[in-house]
Amino acid sequence: MNAIDDWTLVGESILRREDAYLLRGQGKFVDDLPVPQNTVHLGFVCSPFAHANITGIDISRAVALPGVIDVLTGNDFVGDILPFKPDIKIEGYREISRPVVATDTVRFVGEYVAVVLAETPYIAQDAIELVDVEYDPLPAVARIEDALDREAPVIFESLGDNVIFKSHFETEGFADHFASVEHVLEGEFHLGRVTGVPIEPRGCLGVIDPVADSYTLWTTTQVPHVVRTAIADHLRLPESIIRVVTPAVGGGFGVKSHIYPDELIVVALMRRYRRAVKWIQDRREELLSDAHAREHIHRIKVAVDAEAVIQAVELKLQTNGGAYANYPFSCTLEATGAARMLPGPYRIRNYKYDVVSVVTNTAPTGAYRGTGQPSCFLAIESMMDRIGRELNIDPADVRLRNLVQPEEFPYVNAVGVRYDTGSYKESLEKALEISGYREYKNRQPKDRLIDGKYRGIGICNYTEVSGTGAPGWRVRGFAKMPGFDSSRVVIEPDGRVAVYLSQADAGQGHYTTFAQVAADRLGVAWSDVTVIEGDTSKTPFGTGTFASRGSVVGGGSIIRCCEKVSAKVKRIVGEMLEIDPSDLVLSDGRVYPLGTPDKGLTLKQVAETAYSMNDIAMPEGEEHGLEATDYYDPPMVTMANGTHVVQAAVDPGDGTVEIERYFIVHDCGRVINPMIVRGQIHGATAQGIGEALMEEIVYDEDGQLLNANLLDYVLPLVLDIPDMEIAHIETPSIDTVGGIKGTAEGGLTGAVPAVANAVCDALSGLGINISRVPLRPSFILAQIDKAAG
Amino acid sequence: MSFKNLVGMFFKYPDTTRVTGAVEQNGRNDNDSATVQLTINGTVYKREVESRYLLVDFIRHEVGLKGTHIGCEHGVCGACTVLLNGNSARSCLQFAAALDGAQITTIEGIAEDGDLHPVQQAFHELHAVQCGYCTPGFLLTSIEFLRSHANPTREDIRRALVNNVCRCTGYVNIVEAVHKAASQLCHNSSEYDREQT
Repeated sequence: MNAIDDWTLVGESILRREDAYLLRGQGKFVDDLPVPQNTVHLGFVCSPFAHANITGIDISRAVALPGVIDVLTGNDFVGDILPFKPDIKIEGYREISRPVVATDTVRFVGEYVAVVLAETPYIAQDAIELVDVEYDPLPAVARIEDALDREAPVIFESLGDNVIFKSHFETEGFADHFASVEHVLEGEFHLGRVTGVPIEPRGCLGVIDPVADSYTLWTTTQVPHVVRTAIADHLRLPESIIRVVTPAVGGGFGVKSHIYPDELIVVALMRRYRRAVKWIQDRREELLSDAHAREHIHRIKVAVDAEAVIQAVELKLQTNGGAYANYPFSCTLEATGAARMLPGPYRIRNYKYDVVSVVTNTAPTGAYRGTGQPSCFLAIESMMDRIGRELNIDPADVRLRNLVQPEEFPYVNAVGVRYDTGSYKESLEKALEISGYREYKNRQPKDRLIDGKYRGIGICNYTEVSGTGAPGWRVRGFAKMPGFDSSRVVIEPDGRVAVYLSQADAGQGHYTTFAQVAADRLGVAWSDVTVIEGDTSKTPFGTGTFASRGSVVGGGSIIRCCEKVSAKVKRIVGEMLEIDPSDLVLSDGRVYPLGTPDKGLTLKQVAETAYSMNDIAMPEGEEHGLEATDYYDPPMVTMANGTHVVQAAVDPGDGTVEIERYFIVHDCGRVINPMIVRGQIHGATAQGIGEALMEEIVYDEDGQLLNANLLDYVLPLVLDIPDMEIAHIETPSIDTVGGIKGTAEGGLTGAVPAVANAVCDALSGLGINISRVPLRPSFILAQIDKAAG
Repeated sequence: MSFKNLVGMFFKYPDTTRVTGAVEQNGRNDNDSATVQLTINGTVYKREVESRYLLVDFIRHEVGLKGTHIGCEHGVCGACTVLLNGNSARSCLQFAAALDGAQITTIEGIAEDGDLHPVQQAFHELHAVQCGYCTPGFLLTSIEFLRSHANPTREDIRRALVNNVCRCTGYVNIVEAVHKAASQLCHNSSEYDREQT
C-alpha cells in the first residue's frame, strides 16, 4: 500500500478553505471565544529574580482590591497539582521536578510565584502589582561554562552539580579510525538562544460542562491528546471527564507542543471555584517563560583524507537546558537531536559524540522548529567549507565527495537511522545549477570585494527528520510520546465524508490538505469532505502536530483508514451487484465495476443501505454504519532532504548582511499540496534567516533576561527576507504510507548554515572564520576590525 | 445613586448606547472614566470606559469584533492594526477615551456584501495567509497603502509592509499578493474611468 500510483487530487495546489474565515477576521482564536458569565480571569506574578528563596508573600493589598477574587501561592497547589517531572528513559538523564507555581525557591526570571484571580483582565493586572513577594536572592548561573564551573552554585541539591544529561556514543573501532587519518580539522560553533514567537501568544479557557461533571479546556496547543493525558496525570483525574480543544491557533513552531503550568492551573481552578477560568498570555510572559531553544556549543573534529573524504567525526556538544525540564521533552529533545542528526546526508561511518546538558537559571528549553538540526548542520556544513579552504577544493565538491550516493539507498547511518530514499546528490547538483554556483565562484575575486561590499556564496545540504514513530521517540528516551496518529473516516448517511484526525492545526492548512487526501482515496469531491481535528472528544487518540509529522502520520493514517472504509463499501456493493468487490472502483462519488461507470451506485445509495434508510438489507455478517478508525505508527523516522544556496553581501561600513539571492531545492517525497509546501518552506527559511542574522534571547551573567520584548528580540521583517527560488524533487518514501515525507522544518535547518557560510565566504578574503550565530552587525564589525589588526 | 444613574434619569440614550460593565466591574470611580463615541465600520458605539481602556479592547470586548488581534501590546507586531480616520494605526497603543468622534475601520469592515476585497482575494489565491493571526493587520496596512499607490513595485510594497510581523509565511507570498491586488485594483479603477467617460 506504500506505493500509490493512482493519485487524483494529491499533488494539486488546491486553495485553502480556512482562508474564507481567516481573511475576514472570523477565525476563532482562544481569546475570541465567547466566555461564560462569571468567568474568572487569571494573572500570574512572575519572579524578577533568576535564583532566590521566597521568604514571604503578602497578598493583603491585592485581595483588598475590588474585583479580586483570590490570590494563590505555590503552597495552595501542593497536593492538588503534581509537579512536572517528564518521564525520560535514557541513560545519563537525571530527573528534576518543577512545581506549577514556585513554593520555596525560584530558579528563573519569569517563573510563576503567585496566581491572581479577578473579575476582569485589567483588575488581574492591577492586582499583580499589589502582591508583595519577599525574596532572598541567591547566586545565579546563566551560561553553560558558568554552570560547569566547579565553584558554581548548585541549582538542584538533588543533582549535586548542574549536569542534567550526559550521553556518549561511538562507532566500533572509532579511536583507531580517527588516529589513522592525516588531516584533522577542528571547529567550535555557538548557537544563540532563540524561541518560536508565534504572533498569537498562548492562552486557555476552562469551561465546566453544565450537565456532567466534566471539564473542557480550550488551549493553544499542538498536542491536544498529550495535554489531556498530562492534565489527568498531574491532577489525578480520569481522562474521560476532560476534554481538550484547540481553537484556531496562531502559529505553533514547537513552542506550543509543550504542556505548561498554566494549562494545569486553569483546570484545577475551575474545579475549585466552579467557574469558568480564562488566561491570556502577554508577549513579555511569552518571551520570558515559553520554551526556549538552541544555546548549543559544538566542538567538532573532522578527520579527512587528502581527497577531502571524511573518515571520522568527533563531536563534543554542550547545551543549556534552562532551569527545569520542560514537559514532556526536557532539554534532551534538542541535545539528542543535534548529536544524532549530525551525520545528515553524508557518508560518515566513524562517529563519536559526547553530550552534556546543564541546568541554569534561565527559562527551560525545549522544542522549536528544526530541533537540533540547525545546530548540528551549522557545525558540519561549516566544516565542509573549512575542509575546502584547507585542501583548496571547492566546498561544493567536498560535499559531493561525501554525500550518500544514489545507489546506497536504503542506507543506515552511523547512529542507526534508516534513510529509505533520498535525492542528496541530485539535490545538490540541481541547487548548484539553478543558483549558477560555478559561474559565481569563477567570477569571484579573491578578496570578495565587489562594489564596496564583501560578497559570498554559501551552501547547506540537510536531511530533515520527519514523521517520527514510536521507535524514534523511544530511542531518544521519550517514554510517554506515542508516535502514532489516528483518524476516523465516516461516510455519512448523505454520502459525504467526515475525517476526524488526532492532530491540531496551527496554520498549516490541515483542513484543506487532509480533505484532499481523503477525497483522493475515496473518489469523492474535495468539497464533500470535512476535516475535524483538535478536539479530544471528537477524535481518536494521537500524538499531535509537531516535528514535521502532520502530513506523514496524519496523511498516512487517513490513507489507511480510507482503504478500510472503501473495502466495506466494495463488500456491500459487491453483494448487491453480485460482483467480486476487488473489481469495483470508487470514483466521482460512485462505486462501479472497473470500466463500466454507468453500472454502479452512488456513495449516497450505499450509505443509505449502511445506515438502514432503504429496504436493501446489509450483506450477512456486515455491521451497520460506514466508517473506520486507523492508528498509524510510522517507522522510526522518515528523512526528507534538500539544499540551500545563499548569496550574501556584507557591508564593511556598518556590519549589516544583505541576502541578495536565495535558492532552495527541496524533496519531501510525495507532495500533497505544492502551494502549501512552498509556504512552509518560505516561512521556515525566514525563521532560519532570523536565527542566523538577528534573533537571540539575551541573558546577563546573573540570569536577567534583557530583551523580553519585540523591539529588542529582533524578528525578521519583510525587508530582511529575499525572494526564494525553489525547485522540487519528488522522491517518495518507500517506508511511509503514500510515500509522504515531512516538510515543516527543513527551511529553517537549511537556512542557518547556508547564511552563515555565505557570510563566511564573503569574509574569507579577510581570513575570518564564522563560528557563531546570530551574525549581528556588531559581531561582524568586531570580526572585521579584529582581522584588520 | 451614582452620577451615571442620575444622567440616565434625564436622558434617554439612543439604542446604540449601552453603558456597559467595563467601568463598574473594574471598581473604579467615575473620575477615571470617560464617555466616548466611536464609529466602527459605519456603526456608532457610545460607551463609558475607563480612561486607560485600550482601543483594541474596546473593539474586541465592548463591540465584539474579534478580528483585530493582539500580538504584542507594545506596538511592534502590527496584528492589531486598524484604520483610524483612514490611516493605519496600532489599536494596542491607543486609548479609546482619547478618540471621541473617531472613524475606525476593522477587518470586519473590509469585505463588502460578503465578497472578499481584492486584497483579501489575492491573499487567498497566492497563499499569503497561514495561521491568519497577523493577517488582518497586513490586509489593513496593504489597503491603506494601495489607496495612495496605484502602481507599486515589489520594493515599494516591501517598504510599506515593513512594520508588520508575520511568523508563518516568510512574507514572500504576501508581497506577491499585494502586487497582484494592486494591478487588480488598477484594472478596476481604469474600467471605472472608462465607464465615466
